[in-house]
Amino acid sequence: MSNDGSGKIGQFLQGEKEPSSSWVILVIGIATSLIFLVIYNILYPGQDLPVLSSLLPMFEGVFDSGIWFFVLGAMIGAFAILGTILTEATIE
Amino acid sequence: MDTILSTLVIFWALIILSYILIQKGLGVLGGITRGMTMFMLEKALGPGADLVEGRKGSGAKVWIIQGMIWLFISATLTFIGLWLGHDPNALHSLEAWGYNALSSELFYAGKFAALFGAIGMFIIGSGLHILPSLLEVDLASEKNAVLTSFAWTLSVIILIIGSQSNEIFGLNIILIGTVVNLIVATAITANQLLTKANSDVTLATPGWLIIFGLIGTPIAIISIFVSGAYNEGIGQWLAYHLFGATFWFSSIAGISLYSASFGSGNALWSRTVAGLVIFGTLFTINPLGDVHPIMAIDMLGLPSAELDITQQDNIIGSFLMALAAIPIIALSSNILITLRGTDAFVENPDLAGIPEINFGAWMLLPLGIGSLFLQTDYLSGTNELTGISNILHLMVIWTVFVPLTLGAALQVLPSASGRYPLSQNRARMAFWMLSGGAVLGLVFTLISDVTDIALAEALVEDPSSLSHTMRKAGSVVFYGTVLGAIFHANNIVSGLYRGETVKSQVALSETTFAPTSYPLTATTSIRKILASGAVLDTEVVPTFESNETGKPTPLHMEEE
Repeated sequence: MSNDGSGKIGQFLQGEKEPSSSWVILVIGIATSLIFLVIYNILYPGQDLPVLSSLLPMFEGVFDSGIWFFVLGAMIGAFAILGTILTEATIE
Repeated sequence: MDTILSTLVIFWALIILSYILIQKGLGVLGGITRGMTMFMLEKALGPGADLVEGRKGSGAKVWIIQGMIWLFISATLTFIGLWLGHDPNALHSLEAWGYNALSSELFYAGKFAALFGAIGMFIIGSGLHILPSLLEVDLASEKNAVLTSFAWTLSVIILIIGSQSNEIFGLNIILIGTVVNLIVATAITANQLLTKANSDVTLATPGWLIIFGLIGTPIAIISIFVSGAYNEGIGQWLAYHLFGATFWFSSIAGISLYSASFGSGNALWSRTVAGLVIFGTLFTINPLGDVHPIMAIDMLGLPSAELDITQQDNIIGSFLMALAAIPIIALSSNILITLRGTDAFVENPDLAGIPEINFGAWMLLPLGIGSLFLQTDYLSGTNELTGISNILHLMVIWTVFVPLTLGAALQVLPSASGRYPLSQNRARMAFWMLSGGAVLGLVFTLISDVTDIALAEALVEDPSSLSHTMRKAGSVVFYGTVLGAIFHANNIVSGLYRGETVKSQVALSETTFAPTSYPLTATTSIRKILASGAVLDTEVVPTFESNETGKPTPLHMEEE
């Protein structure tokens, strides 16, 4: 891989050159998801969502307490720390 | 002679003897001992010593970084413990894996992770930088300091496993963790004492506090066993408080006093008061901590004994604990005034670490007095306040020990690593989340505990909904501490690679813009001007008061 290529990977990992308008993509994504859910509910009232509705019962009785949302946040935090250590150490 | 006094006499005699030996040296044996110790610290490790480079400051850096990760783990364990306090079945699904999560066990694990993982590693890491700096020499063995940090982390992992199940395959897990921990502590103590022996500079008071913190715990263990108090309830209680007074309180006092002076740019407010902290720490009984010495009992592998206290022990114990208010007040006031200098405002308030030290010093006094009431209540056998013992211990850990050690570590790390944290703004945000979450979360839980005690005394059988709600709110708010620890850890790790490089020993605030002019309204020192964020190009403008008498302001000038 060329030096130029590795530099681009570094930029991707760090996200320092992220375009300032990138939040627009995030907003469009969230709005699209919400619109999809609303339209689905209108077109197929009372019907379960495909794929998701068959996956969710697997977690019944497992994630049945609010603590799991917080534990999930802590796990994301743990991976964020690990990710920071790995990316900072390997960027050079 | 009673148990407390007989044990303390041995402890005091050994402390004084150690001080004399450290000051005077070992005479003709000194050279041999130094050579042997240096050999044990590096050459005896064999190929292990070649695994690390041993660059200057690497020891302090690696201890502090690991402490940051333990801070996050301990906050998470404590948060889960608080949550299970109001929702005991929240993690019942883990029973499928054979793990039955209990609030008390999670608290126990959280305390091991916080006291030995986070706080212990911050103390040792900061000490590895501070002591050589005060002695104006290099650390005796950076390689040993780096390698032992991993063994210490291993010991904390073993202790946490032991807190969940103390006996696995017939082995006492916590005792194994303690043995590993003591071996590392011995290596660190030898390293620091060798550093002291290599210097001819008179050691400042914070340095002595760090040394007494290191040598105090093994001396306390020897004293307990020599006096035979280890199998008595009061002896075990005393052992727990001697460990707390030495390794934790004395060391924390040393590193926080140094960091308060270093970070603010002010000289230490009073050397006499700092000396009083040393004397008061060693010659009184520190009341901070839980009433049940279960942690010390488990770590020493002793069978738990009932507290059967004599009248004389009660009087001496209560008296010496009341005297401990003196070093607590002395430490708190010395830090707070050093941070402020000659006025009411904290110097360099935006610099990472300064808000933490300021916060910890504020919280020390109320929690010290609160702990004094709690321990006196326990010793006298009244036991009206034992219901808040656990939460008060958690408050001491999260609002005094963690802020003071974290603040000192944040102050020391730039000098040790050569770089500041990536963002001072993020450090300040993490401070508010960590301290706010700890204070509010634990105060809510304290209110809940006090409500439960009052209801139990009134023989009310129905559980209080207010108590349950407060407990729930407390656990959710404490999650801020977990988030604060995550932000701090990311900020510190990124700072090691991309942070601003340290250019001088005087650290200016990075979040305050350098003012182009400094209004001089009264006589001041150059140190104070620099501490306000001024740089060498800042113009100092004298702004004198007018001596003219006041008169009505003319709204328009009359035409002549």
